[in-house]
Amino acid sequence: MTAPRFDELIHPSTRLSIVALLASADWIEFGYVRDQLGLSDSALSKQFSTLEEAGYLTLERRVSDRRRRVQVRLTPEGRAAFDGHVAALRAVVAMAESETTTL
Amino acid sequence: MPAPPPDISHDEARMALDTVEHRRQQVLAEIDVPGWYWWFLALGWVAVGVGAQFGGIWAVILSPVLFGALHAALAHRALSGRYRTGNLSVRRDVAGHQVMFAVIAFVIGLWAVTLGVALVADADGARHPSLFASVVVALLVLAGGPRLMAALRRHRARAGAV
Repeated sequence: MTAPRFDELIHPSTRLSIVALLASADWIEFGYVRDQLGLSDSALSKQFSTLEEAGYLTLERRVSDRRRRVQVRLTPEGRAAFDGHVAALRAVVAMAESETTTL
Repeated sequence: MPAPPPDISHDEARMALDTVEHRRQQVLAEIDVPGWYWWFLALGWVAVGVGAQFGGIWAVILSPVLFGALHAALAHRALSGRYRTGNLSVRRDVAGHQVMFAVIAFVIGLWAVTLGVALVADADGARHPSLFASVVVALLVLAGGPRLMAALRRHRARAGAV
């Protein structure tokens, strides 16, 4: 069981969405994340840079069928941070619900 | 256990968990076999039916063996359910093993249906019972395969929700 650890870097909605998508995949194409989140290339690149600098994800640039493609994947540190963050969110919800029950 | 930050309310935490679950569902929606797979299976089935109907004894024996070998060579990656498109690779523990088991069971069922339809068609005096049975089953593949995958995705979506 993962220990709860709230992560300020992941918590903002856009970054949480990015990391949550990546958590269920080995890797995802840049364009797929962009389309799912409805962000511009530059806005998404900025979020990726922040997460990459924190060591939470890696970007792999490759050429396929003469097209440049970027594959994004979570690092083990990013996955651990995400799991801890989800556990912390669950703890908040559980705590609030138990307080409601005891009232 | 570290205390949660005081500025996170229950509603905010719930909303964040909903976001996580929504994104997980988006990846689960990618669990499928590639689009070409059902066409490969359907056309291969008809080819075997043609071989059984019009070929000699060697065609009857060799066409299913060749098709089975070709299927085995191509199916391993396709039946993992993790590569519907080239856009992402679904994690193995998220995709599960159900896709491969379900498709293999589906194919075994199709062989039984093919045999049954061919025997009934032959008893009914059809001129080309093997070909008829293979075309019927090919249509079943094209109609039923994607439905089978949709049912599996629904099953995976219900399992392990955040």
